[in-house]
Amino acid sequence: MSITYNGTGGVAADLPDVLPPVKKRGRVLTFIRRNPTLSAGGILLGLIVFMAIAAPILGTVDPTAIAPARRTRVPSALYWFGTDMLGRDVYSRTLYGARVSLIVGFAVAFLSSIIGMLIGVCAGYIRLVDTIIMRVMDGLMSIPSILLAIALMALTRGSVQNVVIAITVAEIPRVTRLVRGVVLSLREQPYVEAAVASGTRTPAVIFKHILPNTLAPIMVQATFICASAMITEAILSFIGAGTPPIIPSWGNIMAEGRALWQVKGYIVFFPAVFLSLTVLAVNLLGDGLRDMLDPRLAKRL
Amino acid sequence: MFAYILRRIVATIPVMAIVALFVFSLLYLAPGDPAAIIAGDQASPADVERIRESLGLDRPFVVRFGEWVWHVLQGDLGQSIFTNLPVTHMIAQRVEPTLSLMVLTLVFSVVVAVPMGVVAAWKQGTWIDRVVMLLAVFGFSVPVFVVGYLMAYAFALQLEWLPVQGYTPIANGIWPWLSNLILPVLTLGGAFIALIARITRATMLEVLSQDYVRTAKAKGVSQAPILFVHALKNASVPIITVIGLGVAGLIGGAVVTESVFAIPGVGRLVVDAILRRDYPIIQGVVLIFSFVYVLVNLCVDLMYTVFDPRIRY
Repeated sequence: MSITYNGTGGVAADLPDVLPPVKKRGRVLTFIRRNPTLSAGGILLGLIVFMAIAAPILGTVDPTAIAPARRTRVPSALYWFGTDMLGRDVYSRTLYGARVSLIVGFAVAFLSSIIGMLIGVCAGYIRLVDTIIMRVMDGLMSIPSILLAIALMALTRGSVQNVVIAITVAEIPRVTRLVRGVVLSLREQPYVEAAVASGTRTPAVIFKHILPNTLAPIMVQATFICASAMITEAILSFIGAGTPPIIPSWGNIMAEGRALWQVKGYIVFFPAVFLSLTVLAVNLLGDGLRDMLDPRLAKRL
Repeated sequence: MFAYILRRIVATIPVMAIVALFVFSLLYLAPGDPAAIIAGDQASPADVERIRESLGLDRPFVVRFGEWVWHVLQGDLGQSIFTNLPVTHMIAQRVEPTLSLMVLTLVFSVVVAVPMGVVAAWKQGTWIDRVVMLLAVFGFSVPVFVVGYLMAYAFALQLEWLPVQGYTPIANGIWPWLSNLILPVLTLGGAFIALIARITRATMLEVLSQDYVRTAKAKGVSQAPILFVHALKNASVPIITVIGLGVAGLIGGAVVTESVFAIPGVGRLVVDAILRRDYPIIQGVVLIFSFVYVLVNLCVDLMYTVFDPRIRY
């Protein structure tokens, strides 16, 4: 049943005339104005993703084509970012290099979040395995993550897939800890107790009541993992323990430019700038996401 | 108090055991058969088998792990495949540069970042706060080698104020030692400063809204003592926790910084070892760095009681 005013004799009938007409601002613009950090990060990341996907049509040549005749040319109208010591076009290599960083960043963020979430829920919800899981995670976390990734890479051949696995293993404990903490506090919530009391089975409690509530912190954490995974990938490639030299990744381009950096600094400079911008974009996105989803999260992460 | 310290030390044993298990598995799983390598190309399968038995490589995993732990406890981390020198000896030779770099960075970062965070919290919402937070986001985003090359390019190549690369032992004088380390410390400190400044600002904001801060203001205590005595002291526990955890990033960053600035430290050693697939060295460095990291965080835990006497165990 609803109450309707017909506009005659009502207490607050004629108010709308006094108020200024509501401006219909575009939804997108309002969103950008309310979440400047999130939007800046999102737009910047969008541009970089576009650049990586559209690399073949952005005036690039084969990034692996060697041309000894045009070695170490400085940036010019013909070679926008110059050429490296094998005559390869640095502009093309940098654009294609974005693919490796983005793939590694997103894949590690996705995989470590999923795996970390599953392990974290188990640890938080099943008391029996909690101690064992958390001891193992404590152990893994006491190995600095870059060293852990280096150690794992030393065991295998360099490939994008192996880099993703190595960094994922190093990042899982962080997600696990976060999820376990959230689950431990959620399981004491009245609505979870109510679900348990009304006979909901454990899997249903976990999937319907617990998991959805861990998603917000996991999403925020995933952006930070994405950023740190891209940096770790570049570091691994830079010290020769990452992607194989054939694949143009930002770390590889910098590793190759390293020998010449004092005289031909641009070879290191361009991939470095792009890497920094990409990581900055992801970090801004994460900060914005955190503020938007839950300002109180700032303390927990 | 004493019982607490003891309990805390005992609690690190399972953690170190898991680290040791992981690090040992690394060598166990490493590709390449040590027996075949030692036997050489001319050896028959029977020779290889004999060498494997004499080295004890045919025994089960658990027995070999136990034996390895026993050796490690006695300070024996095995021999480098490449140089045949003891791993502990090779690491000991490289400790000074790495230790100098890390300790200086730690001190420098704390000295710079804590006041930055305090001022940002004090001037919350003003342009000072925004600049500090912006710097913090950049500090997180710009990878260590990028900062390193930019700094070296600007201050060493263009301005020629400081040496470009290399390391001078402290025994050769304080200034030569320090001048070689200034750029690496600034480089390595970037992300660490960002981390500490952020947590300091966040914790200070929380503390500054407490009643006792208002009381201190009301009774006329001036700004500086309120910030640094009343507030910072109470904000110190989360800050030192984050500093302790940040040492992991510092260790990872040191590996890269040493490569950029050609510093002959432990990080450089592990990078060279990767290129040569020298597993005992990788194993030794990972084990020692992890041990240092656990030790630092143990100290942090013990420091809680000093910084916050309310914490009793």
